[in-house]
Amino acid sequence: MANQGGAQRPNGPQSKICQFKLVLLGESAVGKSSLVLRFVKGQFHEYQESTIGAAFLTQTVCLDDTTVKFEIWDTAGQERYHSLAPMYYRGAQAAIVVYDITNQDTFGRAKTWVRELQRQASPNIVIALAGNKADLANKRMVEYEEAQAYAEENSLLFMETSAKTAMNVNDIFLAIAKKLPKNEQAGQQQSRQRGVDLSQENQPSGGCCK
Amino acid sequence: MATSNVDPYGFERTEDFDFESYEEFMKTYLSVLSRRASRWSSDLLMGSKKVSRSQKLKRFIRKGIPSEHRPTIWMQMSGAETRRQQNPNVYRQLLQEKHDPQLVETIKTDIPRTFPDNIYFQDTPSDPQCKRAPLFNVLVALGHKNPSIGYCQGLNFIAGLLLLIVKDEEKVFWLMDTLINNMLPDYYAPDMMGVKIDSEVLGDLVKVRDPQLYAFMESAGAAWSIVCTKWLICVFADVLPIETLLRVWDCLFYEGDKVIFRVGLTLLIHNRDKILRCQHFPQIMSTIKAIVMDEYSLNCHNFLQAIFKEPKRLSRAEIQKLRLHHRAQFSK
Ligand SMILES: Nc1nc2c(ncn2[C@@H]2O[C@H](COP(=O)(O)OP(=O)(O)OP(=O)(O)O)[C@@H](O)[C@H]2O)c(=O)[nH]1
Ligand SMILES: [Mg+2]
Repeated sequence: MANQGGAQRPNGPQSKICQFKLVLLGESAVGKSSLVLRFVKGQFHEYQESTIGAAFLTQTVCLDDTTVKFEIWDTAGQERYHSLAPMYYRGAQAAIVVYDITNQDTFGRAKTWVRELQRQASPNIVIALAGNKADLANKRMVEYEEAQAYAEENSLLFMETSAKTAMNVNDIFLAIAKKLPKNEQAGQQQSRQRGVDLSQENQPSGGCCK
Repeated sequence: MATSNVDPYGFERTEDFDFESYEEFMKTYLSVLSRRASRWSSDLLMGSKKVSRSQKLKRFIRKGIPSEHRPTIWMQMSGAETRRQQNPNVYRQLLQEKHDPQLVETIKTDIPRTFPDNIYFQDTPSDPQCKRAPLFNVLVALGHKNPSIGYCQGLNFIAGLLLLIVKDEEKVFWLMDTLINNMLPDYYAPDMMGVKIDSEVLGDLVKVRDPQLYAFMESAGAAWSIVCTKWLICVFADVLPIETLLRVWDCLFYEGDKVIFRVGLTLLIHNRDKILRCQHFPQIMSTIKAIVMDEYSLNCHNFLQAIFKEPKRLSRAEIQKLRLHHRAQFSK
């Protein structure tokens, strides 16, 4: 997996390109795929197909002098797919653990994911907690304060998001990008193929680098 | 040919749908279809509805079952028809029994999330053609009858497609019951062991046939299960173009699970050069996502010939041996 923090771009002394592997985890139907679809394509589907196995997408964001390219693994949420998850979070520099604010069980499940990541993922992984479907505030079952307190205790980034209205979607990815180390050492142990010419790749549309 | 935004099975075509290649392919495929249909009536069925296993039938099935015969042949050849006849009324009874509320809840969540871009899966309960209610029934009855399996995401896509083709929900139920118990045991159980094992088996089969490709995938860190989990769980439903999928399923219901490996091997080995040109893992993933839908996979008649040629000899014994090996590895 080609992950490198801080490859120097040859044609711009100031601009670095960093590539990070990010994984989305959380119960089925909390909105993982919807968040990714919103972030990558700026779209929302009222009915989003259930994810089988995992889906892979990329998106690029610009941060000051750095271009951050996310390699996103959107995993399947059903419990029986759980045993496949380590394959996706192994070597990930960031994770978004998603729950649905209208469903208390999904918050419990999110906590389980956080614990698993803390124990099994890379020690420096940046974890964000996303309370999704914030547009359904009238059906809220998980209080903002409760989730925020939990996130603080566990040093997680935390935001309530809505893939439907786009609220905080770019923001949560940006917050992660900010928190990720962007120096030459970052993520080195995972980088199998250094020196890849990133400039050849198609830049996805809809990002801030248009 | 008139271009429509909906295909004959009710799927809305995406914006990037390649009408040109599709029409090019359909021009020849339509004549293949009509030739096959007349050969089936005049040389094979000759007025009868029942067929029995034979080299000739196998050959005919590999060249494609005409759509009017597809439901009957799938039912007969998979053994689902026998199950259905030996268990009259069972499906109706299963539906009437009291179901585990959690099973019902999980399935309910996935009904609107099954083929949302197909016109028969829209929220139109009064439309007799709407497949949402039959889909719910089939999945609930299946999970209720097979409590050790329950509901596994992915079954919704298989059942959904079967409903579009076979139409009769009781028949679809028995096809699904045969599939999960006889044809692909272990795939849908909570530990999904069958899927994990078969992913590794596919990798090993690649290794023997194309060591360079295997070594490349390994060095890129492309685990086989990352590549093929959805292929296996959905038996290529929601993966391959639909005409191709149906042709693969023709063989699946006659010959069994071996054809899954043939398809997987053909996709990977035929496209080896494209994969080998990739510079890193993400690019490999995008390439593989593209090849399952490209012209080669779309051209189902050639593709089906290729799956029986390209991967060379593939014996049940070879698969069995590898499965046993990986089962032992996983239980360590
Ligand atoms: N109101 C509202 N609905 C949402 C939001 N995000 C997702 N949904 C809906 O919730 C359902 C499930 O969303 P998905 O994105 O498929 O959920 P997922 O977490 O990827 O689920 P799995 O793939 O099964 O793990 C879809 O029908 C979405 O339209 C949101 O922010 N607000
Ligand atoms: Mg999803």
